Amino acid sequence: MNRNALDLGGYDAVLYKEIRHVLRDRLTLLFSIALPLLQMILFGYAINTKVEHIRSAVFNEDRGARSIAFLDSLRASKSFDIQRNAQSRTELSNLIVAGTVRVAFDIPPNFTADINADHPAAVQVLIDGSDSSVAQPAYAAATAIGAAASGSRSSPLIDVRPRVLFNPGLRSANFLVPGLIGVIMQLITMFLTALSIVGERERGTLDQVMVTPIGALGLMLGKVTPYAVIGFLDFLLVVSAMQLVFHVRIAGSIALLFVLSAGFLLAALGLGLLVSSAAKTQVQAMLGVLALTLPSILLSGFFFELYLMPPVMQWFSYAIPLTYFLEILRGIILRGAGLAELWPAVVAMMSLAIVLLIASSIRLARSSES
Amino acid sequence: MSAVTAIDVRTISKRYGSHLVVNGLSLQVSRGEIFGFLGPNGSGKSTTIKMLCGLIKPSGGSASICGLDVATQGDAVRRTIGYMSQSFSLYSDLTVEENLEFYGRAYGLSKAKREERIDEMIRFSALTPYRRQLAGTLSGGWKQRLALAGALLHEPAVLFLDEPTAGIDPVARRDLWDLLFTLGERGVTLFVTTHYMDEAERCGRVGYIWNGDLIAVGTRDELRHLPEVTPTGAARFQASGRDVVAMLGTARKLHYVRDATIFGSGLHLIVDAGTAGSRIAADLAVPPSEVAPIEPSLEDVFVALTRARHT
Repeated sequence: MNRNALDLGGYDAVLYKEIRHVLRDRLTLLFSIALPLLQMILFGYAINTKVEHIRSAVFNEDRGARSIAFLDSLRASKSFDIQRNAQSRTELSNLIVAGTVRVAFDIPPNFTADINADHPAAVQVLIDGSDSSVAQPAYAAATAIGAAASGSRSSPLIDVRPRVLFNPGLRSANFLVPGLIGVIMQLITMFLTALSIVGERERGTLDQVMVTPIGALGLMLGKVTPYAVIGFLDFLLVVSAMQLVFHVRIAGSIALLFVLSAGFLLAALGLGLLVSSAAKTQVQAMLGVLALTLPSILLSGFFFELYLMPPVMQWFSYAIPLTYFLEILRGIILRGAGLAELWPAVVAMMSLAIVLLIASSIRLARSSES
Repeated sequence: MSAVTAIDVRTISKRYGSHLVVNGLSLQVSRGEIFGFLGPNGSGKSTTIKMLCGLIKPSGGSASICGLDVATQGDAVRRTIGYMSQSFSLYSDLTVEENLEFYGRAYGLSKAKREERIDEMIRFSALTPYRRQLAGTLSGGWKQRLALAGALLHEPAVLFLDEPTAGIDPVARRDLWDLLFTLGERGVTLFVTTHYMDEAERCGRVGYIWNGDLIAVGTRDELRHLPEVTPTGAARFQASGRDVVAMLGTARKLHYVRDATIFGSGLHLIVDAGTAGSRIAADLAVPPSEVAPIEPSLEDVFVALTRARHT
């Protein structure tokens, strides 16, 4: 039977009942609020617990009183656990390449003499950047110790020069926490949308709805509006947790962050609808959500920077809305970037969102009209 | 098409791959009629009803409801019909009232109209004590009443009911039928599928679908007098006795018995015309008072029609 895909009729009817479904299902509501916080805290703390006792090595060419005092302050800091004393610069770099240690301190021969002569003494610090969750605190701790050892002098007495190896683009602040916002929003929104629509098909209530004059668009929007609201609440929760629990400050515009996050919700809803149009049962829908979530997390740059992946994988990355949203999140939160820097990612993300919404609406209208 | 035709179906078919589920079915139902649509499970009943409601696209043919074409005037058709599907298809986690509110909004009824219709339908289906109860906690019969109330909220001219009494107790079944008769009296056209023969007997006209073919349509009397049901030169008798199984064995050996079926505590027999009841009684060793000529029931009709197809 002809049904206009753009017919908004019946939106209020669907929204009316959908809000009641959400409020009656307390357990799901609780999960969709509590789970993001739990995820945030688990992931967040898993990162932060690694800050101490980083395996380290030292090559001390100086062996003077000043260098021994510097090494004592390193040991006292608890950040570094000096496990090896290298006998040469080559041995030191081999220890890092082999993965035996994550951090290597290279103290030059004139260290004590320089300080005694009131010249800044340089210390080279090599940091294994392949694991950003270790490298970032190591970087910070090394810099802090150098500053502390220099006292209150305006020019540093001990000039600590950290160099990140293997991953020189290591971000200056916590890499995973802003990304989690995107992952959590996508997961929750997709799950709720897909389960709600497929659940209706599975229980046979969809036929009963399809005999009414409710329009395709009215049905779709009415069903997803409550989940979009929950998705946005999750966003607020997770952003608050990020700031209050993990002390990651938002460097850029909060308003821009909100607007673009709402935009990303559209993409997540589109993905949920896409799963709904293919799945016949709720179990299939859950598997479908997982099938789309795992590649999203792995290929979006959530764990590894995109440029570290093989080019073929990068092509897939560019088809994933989360890729662009992570770029936006990290840009706004960490680097204080604005639209001027982020517009290519914004255009790409919104285009994907629109394509997903249209494609899934058409598919859904077809699948319910067999 | 006549002005009093509510449902007009012209050679409608549905094919899934190579499987023909409904095969060129045609039928007309007049306004205010209660039409019973019968057939075994998997015969194409639900597929037909879903095509008429616009839930499934036909592979061929056409259908119109009150003069509105199902294929092209979907929205107008949807406002004209009500549909009660085979399984309970209202929201278990919404109350009785909320379910009706949803349907009221779905049909775009104004707030005042909604309140009026919801009150009316709750009274009609006697759901008043359950008004604020979650639909999922109602028993089978009450769920069906709620489904009926939901399907009627927008005052449809034609109501499609797909096995409305499946799985509910006999009292609830009778109550539901009383509601359906009330609707019929009010001029609502009812198209009811069922596989209960006693329900078919309540319908004005019945159609019988078997393997996707509509093999008979008519009133009870019309169907009884179909030549396939009581062949020329044959007559129907009923014979009661204590051991019907033994009687069946005996009857099937008698040369003048064309067909014999156990029916309750007796046998239904088709015999050569002119056979006397007393002779049958003697041959089956029962008192003559236990043998009498009968009219075929609808079940007899459908058994006969199905057998005629098989052979």
